[in-house]
Amino acid sequence: MRRVVPLTVALALCACTQRPPADPRVEQFAALPSWTGIWVADGLEPGIDGFSLSRTPAFLVVNPDIPWNEATTAKIQAELAVNPDLQIPPADGWGYPLMMDGAPPLQFLITPEETLIFNTYRDLRHVYTDGRMHPPAGDLWPTTWGNSVGRWEGDTLVIDTVAVREPNKYFGIVAWFSDQAHYTERLRRVAPDRIEGEMTVEDPATLSRPWVAKLNYKRADGWDRLIHDGYDNDRTGFDGDYYTIEPSADAPPPAP
Amino acid sequence: MARRHLAVLTAAALGASSALAHHSPVMFDQTQRVTLTGTVREFQWTNPHSYIQLVVKNDQGQDEEWSLEMAAPTYLYNRGWRPSSVKAGDALTVTIAPLRKGGRGGLLLGAANNDGKPIGTPAPPTP
Repeated sequence: MRRVVPLTVALALCACTQRPPADPRVEQFAALPSWTGIWVADGLEPGIDGFSLSRTPAFLVVNPDIPWNEATTAKIQAELAVNPDLQIPPADGWGYPLMMDGAPPLQFLITPEETLIFNTYRDLRHVYTDGRMHPPAGDLWPTTWGNSVGRWEGDTLVIDTVAVREPNKYFGIVAWFSDQAHYTERLRRVAPDRIEGEMTVEDPATLSRPWVAKLNYKRADGWDRLIHDGYDNDRTGFDGDYYTIEPSADAPPPAP
Repeated sequence: MARRHLAVLTAAALGASSALAHHSPVMFDQTQRVTLTGTVREFQWTNPHSYIQLVVKNDQGQDEEWSLEMAAPTYLYNRGWRPSSVKAGDALTVTIAPLRKGGRGGLLLGAANNDGKPIGTPAPPTP
């Protein structure tokens, strides 16, 4: 019996030291940066009213830093002349590029083949990092989130995005870039609680020169599962001058 | 010069600290503050906005229901609000930015329960 016990231990130790062959997929994941968590753009964490931010998001048409060309400036001024309060139709998301500098927090899911970037409104970008190129121009059509391909330069994710449908068609107060705009982002996690980068927008149709916007995020811990489920209680009405709040569907009738 | 003119126009139109969500905030007069005390009829934890339906007595002692708009639940959660934070029958004192054109509605900016305790967590200081 005394001989059996050491032999069993020896066999067990031997089994533990025999590692299975390395799974190349595991190694691919291990080589990638991790940006887990929920990320909020600097200065854009709203209060309970949903509006009180400490700065104007970069990609709003009202950002005076955007170098519009003369033709686009004239168009925007014409819009302001008839819509001075810049009232906009309600939207059910933020779209690109506004989602990259907006109030809804972001998540980044990094895999060897692609990085998914999404927010609480379910704006979703597929950034393919498997080496593919954009489809030929004839096979591309503009969409709200465009077509993105990316590559890793060390721990910096470089994203090239084209074929973004005019962003203001989705959300009326977003910058009036054209369908031909070319967006280049560089993002890097510079600290456990911080991602920094920038986006360069090239759009000769609307801009007088390329424009660079800063993209900076802090990791936030107050959020839940980014649930934004259903639009079943949209009480936004319009009184002819302004949007307003419609009565609650189950409100008791007014007293006679 | 044209760009400068645009900047002046837009700054006046929207304000540097305003943003946007499901719709423009212009419908609310954010230069005004109104305080209401009443009883909750319903807390609508819904998208695209949440609402508190607050029954308030008017100057004639009659009940009037106010619709108080809030952010979507995901933002409320981040500020410490939960679906159970406010219940029907709760007494509340709220601060709102009223609808620009009047009426019993507004944008809810803060709420406290019967003993004066604020609901949720305060917003972080502005950098």
